[in-house]
Amino acid sequence: MTDVTSQTLRLLRESKGWDVPRMARELRNAARDTGEDIAAHHGLVKMIPQWERGNRVPRERYRLLYLKIFQDMADRVSSGMAFGTELALRLAEVHSRAASLPGPGQVRALEAAALARPGKTMTPAEIRALAAESIASLHEVAGKLAKLSALLGDDEVGEVGS
Amino acid sequence: MSAREDEIRRLVAELDAHIAEVEARVAALKALVADGDIQAEEEDPS
Repeated sequence: MTDVTSQTLRLLRESKGWDVPRMARELRNAARDTGEDIAAHHGLVKMIPQWERGNRVPRERYRLLYLKIFQDMADRVSSGMAFGTELALRLAEVHSRAASLPGPGQVRALEAAALARPGKTMTPAEIRALAAESIASLHEVAGKLAKLSALLGDDEVGEVGS
Repeated sequence: MSAREDEIRRLVAELDAHIAEVEARVAALKALVADGDIQAEEEDPS
C-alpha cells in the first residue's frame, strides 16, 4: 500500500461510514482472524488519525490489514480486471471522493447563503462565478466518471454529489 | 501496462484534478458563508 496516500486511508474508512474506534475494531478483528499480534484498541485509536493525517506511516502489518479489510472494495472496483491493488484502491478513492461531493443544488444553496450574507472577501459577482465554476467542474467530474464507467464496463461509477 | 489501463490511469488522474477543483471551490464557498455568519454576529450580537 505504499502508493496509497494518508488521505486514502481516511476516505476508505469514511466510505464504510466507520468512525475511528470502529476502524480500530475492524483492524483488531482482521488481525484476530490471521493470528496477528497488534496494538490494543486504545493504541489504534491514537494511531489511525496519525496515519490518516500523514504524521506517521502504518507499518507493513497494518498496511496488510487495511488491504485485507478493503479487499472487497478493491475487488469490486477492479471487477475481474488484471489491475494492481494500487490502481484498484485509486479507483475506490476517486469513487468515494466523487460520491461525497455536493450536487449542483447544494452548490446553489451555498451560493445563495454566501450572497445573503456577503463578507468582505468577495463581490457577489465573484461568488456567482465561483459557484458557476464549481458546477462546471461537477459536470466535468460526471463526464469523466461516465467515460471511466464505459471503460470499466460497469454502471456503478457515475455517482456525483449523492 | 495495456493501453486500456493507461487510459484508466489517465482518466483517474483527470478525475482527481477535477474533484480537487470542486472540493477547493466548495470549501471557498463554505468559508464565505462562515465568514458572512461571523460578520453578521459581530454586527448584531443580540
